[in-house]
Amino acid sequence: MNTDSDQEGCAGCQGTPKWRQDFPIEWEGDHYVSRREMVKFLTLGSLLLAAANWATALASRFLHRGSHVERYVGSTASLEQSGSMLFRYPTNEDPCIAVRTPEGKLVAYSQVCTHLSCAVVYDKAGNGLFCPCHRGFFNLDGQPIAGPPTRPLPRVQLEQRGDQIYAIGMEG
Amino acid sequence: MSLRRQGTTLFAALLAFVGSAVVLQLWLLTLSVEALLGGEYKTLVPAALGSTVLLAINAALLRYVFRFDREAEEK
Repeated sequence: MNTDSDQEGCAGCQGTPKWRQDFPIEWEGDHYVSRREMVKFLTLGSLLLAAANWATALASRFLHRGSHVERYVGSTASLEQSGSMLFRYPTNEDPCIAVRTPEGKLVAYSQVCTHLSCAVVYDKAGNGLFCPCHRGFFNLDGQPIAGPPTRPLPRVQLEQRGDQIYAIGMEG
Repeated sequence: MSLRRQGTTLFAALLAFVGSAVVLQLWLLTLSVEALLGGEYKTLVPAALGSTVLLAINAALLRYVFRFDREAEEK
């Protein structure tokens, strides 16, 4: 709807097109405000990202709990028979494997491959732990030495009491 | 040069800096989540601290933007 002022034009607007009078946007001011608002928006995003980072740090505390519980693993006799033994630690959802090394040392690791979470098995001939899914190979120190895994297997601390083996903690 | 025009140029520069800081924070968060899922908890707190430092820098720059804006309004 036209008004009188539209038809007449404003004072001091001589030579200015009508569309410019109807839509008097100052681009300089527009850029100023949009950039200022974008800085605000990005700082808010920065706050959220920092909060998410702290949330992951806090989440690790909860994931760490229960890693120092004591749990019966099995007897040394059953381990000597096959050279390795499967057990669950620290919860029933965490498969682990205990191995007697050729040097006679008792070691145990999480059975979950650090590549894509397949179960590793003891390879007596290769003297290590083998992941059959993608041919990953870990030595008996838990370090990855072949295939796609790049992170070591989490180690389970064991304690031998007579002929009984107990898991007492989780490293890494 | 008017104060507003100066502000437009200044805010563009700040925007580039704050944007880079946010990308760095995003990268830190990606690393943190990967470390969390991989069971490597040692890097999580330093990453969170780094992210907080970047947030502090961004907040200081935003405070400067507000102050500049107030001065521009007054003039």
